[in-house]
Amino acid sequence: MRVTAEAKAETRQRILETARQLFAASGYEASTTREIADAVGIAHGTLFNYFPNKEAVLATLVADATAGLHIDFDRRSPEEGSFEEELFAFVAAGLRKLKPWRKQLSVLLETVLNPLTTAAADGSESMRLWHLETVARLAKHHGLGDLPPVSLQLYWTLYIGLLLFWSQDGSPRQEDTLALLDSSLAMFTGWLQSEKPSPSPNKKGRV
Amino acid sequence: MPPTIEELMRALPDEEPREPATLGEPLPVASRRQVPVGRWRRLRLLSTLQAKIGAAYLFYWVRGWFKKAEHRERLLAETHWQTAASLFDSMSYLRGAVMKVGQTLANFPDIVPQAFVETLERLHYEAPPMHWALLREMVHNELGDDPENVFASFDKQAFAAASLGQVHGARLKTGEEVAVKIQYPGIARTIREDFRNFFLFLLPGRLSKDWEYTKNQFDDLRRRLDQETDYVVEAATLAKVRPLFRDDEGIVIPRVYPQYSTTRILTMERLGGVHLDAYLARNPSQEERNEFARKMIRAWYRMFYAGRLLYSDLHPGNFLFMEDGRLGVIDFGFMLPFDDELWELMRLMDRAFTTGRREDRIAAVKAWSWISDDPAEADFLRLTEEFADWEMRARYCGGPFDFGDEADFRQGIDLFSEMLRKRYNKSRACTPVIARQHMGWRALLYRLKARVEIRPLAEEEVKAAGWDRSDYA
Repeated sequence: MRVTAEAKAETRQRILETARQLFAASGYEASTTREIADAVGIAHGTLFNYFPNKEAVLATLVADATAGLHIDFDRRSPEEGSFEEELFAFVAAGLRKLKPWRKQLSVLLETVLNPLTTAAADGSESMRLWHLETVARLAKHHGLGDLPPVSLQLYWTLYIGLLLFWSQDGSPRQEDTLALLDSSLAMFTGWLQSEKPSPSPNKKGRV
Repeated sequence: MPPTIEELMRALPDEEPREPATLGEPLPVASRRQVPVGRWRRLRLLSTLQAKIGAAYLFYWVRGWFKKAEHRERLLAETHWQTAASLFDSMSYLRGAVMKVGQTLANFPDIVPQAFVETLERLHYEAPPMHWALLREMVHNELGDDPENVFASFDKQAFAAASLGQVHGARLKTGEEVAVKIQYPGIARTIREDFRNFFLFLLPGRLSKDWEYTKNQFDDLRRRLDQETDYVVEAATLAKVRPLFRDDEGIVIPRVYPQYSTTRILTMERLGGVHLDAYLARNPSQEERNEFARKMIRAWYRMFYAGRLLYSDLHPGNFLFMEDGRLGVIDFGFMLPFDDELWELMRLMDRAFTTGRREDRIAAVKAWSWISDDPAEADFLRLTEEFADWEMRARYCGGPFDFGDEADFRQGIDLFSEMLRKRYNKSRACTPVIARQHMGWRALLYRLKARVEIRPLAEEEVKAAGWDRSDYA
């Protein structure tokens, strides 16, 4: 029997939803791919047709959680904040979306959240791309021109560091993460401004 | 003659001071540690300008104590001070600690140069604010939603800086105008960590005979500052203090809104009015100033005798002079509740305050500081008794007391400085807090140039303590 694309998409979605529930109930470490497959009602091996491993399931859930963030952020009512402040608001909005996955983020450190990874599977690469596109667009809007790759890499490294700090943050309501975000962005924007980038050659503002 | 800012800046230690031999390795390492808390550019601003001026002034002051000392002793003191100043400079709890030091020093306008007072005044009220995005996350974290959803309206601009945060105006959905005090994220932990580091600085003194007293006093300060970071404690204090005052007394303690308050956010009724400098700038009459002074004194006595609480944060930023003549008292973070042991000592003090007899003062200070009849402690006893007399005479003499008398005020400062210089620190753990509040309230009344009779006020208020005072005569 041929499995239609529609059925495939539906199975994939069921795997993700079941995994989300299992991770929430039993924790990421305690949940196995076999349990996920059993709960979905598919053979254990079938699950691997959709995701290469449990970590990829988690990476997709994390990427999906923040998928619409950049669109929401672009649609928000405009505020007269500085680049640093807008960037803070953008990252903070992402943290709100990622909150259910906070403690699991460190699992992704060696792979999709590795700052040197550029070609991860299952949507995490797109998460990186749209995140950095939004940062670049904000920088341009604030007159900082087109951010060079080194600036974006520096930013991504800081961002990943922040996520990892957050995943382990034991302070009340993770307030230390807010302080770290504030410090990191002040450092990043201070560095950007000291770099004094030349004006963008692209007047149409492509990002 | 007071030093100029330039002289103060020159008095500062170098950027990279040599590390004194008296300190172990962990301290310099710890002092250079970057603490990822706070908004570093703001903190750097504080640490490189206001804090340096503050540190320089203290350095200048401390140097003055050693004018007549042996060269070796002077050098040792300077080395210690340079280390303290450089360590202080590198600390990230500056927002809290510098403002605390600043608030205390700003009470001495005739001792510190005017430019310094102005700098510290800016520290009181004009510290650079948290930006809106950070603030919104703090409110969301603490109250579960964005400020624009929690409140009917919320001012994005802070109207005041608190020592550990900032204060915003807002309106509740039920219509009340409120002041929302929001703490900087992570400041509580950073204060705790920096206190630990600062304690390491004190370690070279551990062999001195009075080390235990120093250590206990330091611990007491640390505990109180730590408590100040918990706004739930402050809300409870406000709820306890507010019912102590009647509406017709003209003393206003803001109402707390517990449903909008957490450990990091305190939502209170917003009081109008201006701070001391703005009030004095209107050239109020002597009687108007006296009336506000009486309210300050009454508020302080009421909390003391009826509430068994010492209001220790006596600096100009904590009082509001309201248009209708009422006095607003705000900020109840730094309070000293009297336990039974302290309360009994306060009863002894009351006897001395009331009778004015030297033997009663001596008995009180001996009990307070465990001073024996050993001749080695004779000078300690003399000085402590003289300082107590300076503290008490405004009350026991009766009649209007001129708190604006510069000579009298300076005598208190000189006695206090002499005790510090002679390192007479054998005393109760809370002594620095009590000394701070006493100097604070005398300085406030001095700046008001108040001429008031405090004995009847004290006699009226002390009744709430329920002490048997029949044997005072």
